[in-house]
Amino acid sequence: MAQGSLALPQVQTLRPGSQLLRLIPGVLLLAAIGWLGKFVEQSVAAYAKAHHLHLPNIEYVLWAIVFGMVVSNTIGIPAVFQPGVLTYEFWLKAGIVLLGARFLLGDVLKLGSISLALVVLELAVAFSFMTLLGRWFRLKPKLTSLLAVGSAVCGVSAIIATKGAIDADDEDSSYAIAAILALGAIALFTFPLIGHYLHLGDRAYGMWAGLAVDNTAEATAAGAMYSDAAGKIAVLAKTTRNAMIGFVVLGYALYWAGKGQAQQVEGKASFLWQKFPKFVLGFLLISVLATAGVFNQQQIGSLANLSRWAFLLTFAGVGLRTNFRELKLQGLRPFAVGAIGEAVIAAVTLGMVLVASRVFHL
Amino acid sequence: MSDDARTPPQPKRFRLTVDGLAVAAALVLALLVRLGVIHRVPW
Repeated sequence: MAQGSLALPQVQTLRPGSQLLRLIPGVLLLAAIGWLGKFVEQSVAAYAKAHHLHLPNIEYVLWAIVFGMVVSNTIGIPAVFQPGVLTYEFWLKAGIVLLGARFLLGDVLKLGSISLALVVLELAVAFSFMTLLGRWFRLKPKLTSLLAVGSAVCGVSAIIATKGAIDADDEDSSYAIAAILALGAIALFTFPLIGHYLHLGDRAYGMWAGLAVDNTAEATAAGAMYSDAAGKIAVLAKTTRNAMIGFVVLGYALYWAGKGQAQQVEGKASFLWQKFPKFVLGFLLISVLATAGVFNQQQIGSLANLSRWAFLLTFAGVGLRTNFRELKLQGLRPFAVGAIGEAVIAAVTLGMVLVASRVFHL
Repeated sequence: MSDDARTPPQPKRFRLTVDGLAVAAALVLALLVRLGVIHRVPW
């Protein structure tokens, strides 16, 4: 999930008319790049079939991200496209809500509970290890807090939420966001390779991607690159992780307020509600409706396909947002702390998932 | 007279978040699919 300087702010005032018109060019660009990715995947598959070749099946997800990265890092994104490109977060969340139709509530509760238990363990590991790393690398304590939140919970949106709650500097949050985005881009390409190397099943891999990849968009993409089923599980695990954001931000806000370096938190319940990602409720609602038999099989298929189209635009946006020159400018030390921390968190969560998949027969 | 007494209460401005918009859009689409307005979505 991404917000802040590189994406839509958390709260936007609705201004109809001209504001909506400004979004059209960028949304069309997202659609064009996403569709090109899908077209290339299908063309390669058709070519391989016609010529009896065994080419590796490269999913449209990877094509869309790569095409987006090529545009972003060569010609750049002209100003006229930028407002629409930033809507990728909207498409991501709408896609996740629609994906709820493919989950029966029982599955959500079962896999969600397993995810929740693993998330709690992951949070404990991530916070303690990142705090230790921050001290070793002599990062500013609040920058360390932001990196810990970003790597443990929910990437960029968690950093933005925590920044406000602990009164961190803009510079610190920019460093942390850049590090988390760069690491998310690396995870996109490394996770599927590791998953295939270890012969992970769809559920185990999806759970791992959802637990260890930071931004929701990247976690969704890393899952979908592996398989459709893995993508589905990755979204569920990541959504569970996202649901923890309020508690984590509250914990940090109380910690820094206790040190006299942030404002006191008034009304913990309203604070939690304010930080809670509301799209999780939409996901649960659609899942409840699907479980109650409100939709027939064909309608569930249609909702699943609408979700895929929304994700298609998201993946194009992930590529377009990744600008290596901008990421390079943000400095090496926060990136190094993030990279070491992420590698350890990925290894620990992989171990946890492997154990859980044996115990719970994932 | 306190500041609170002098300042008239400001009307709450209705603001939509990205989350709210995404959930609303998804629910509208789900309703259209359920009603058969959107009949079949290909992939």
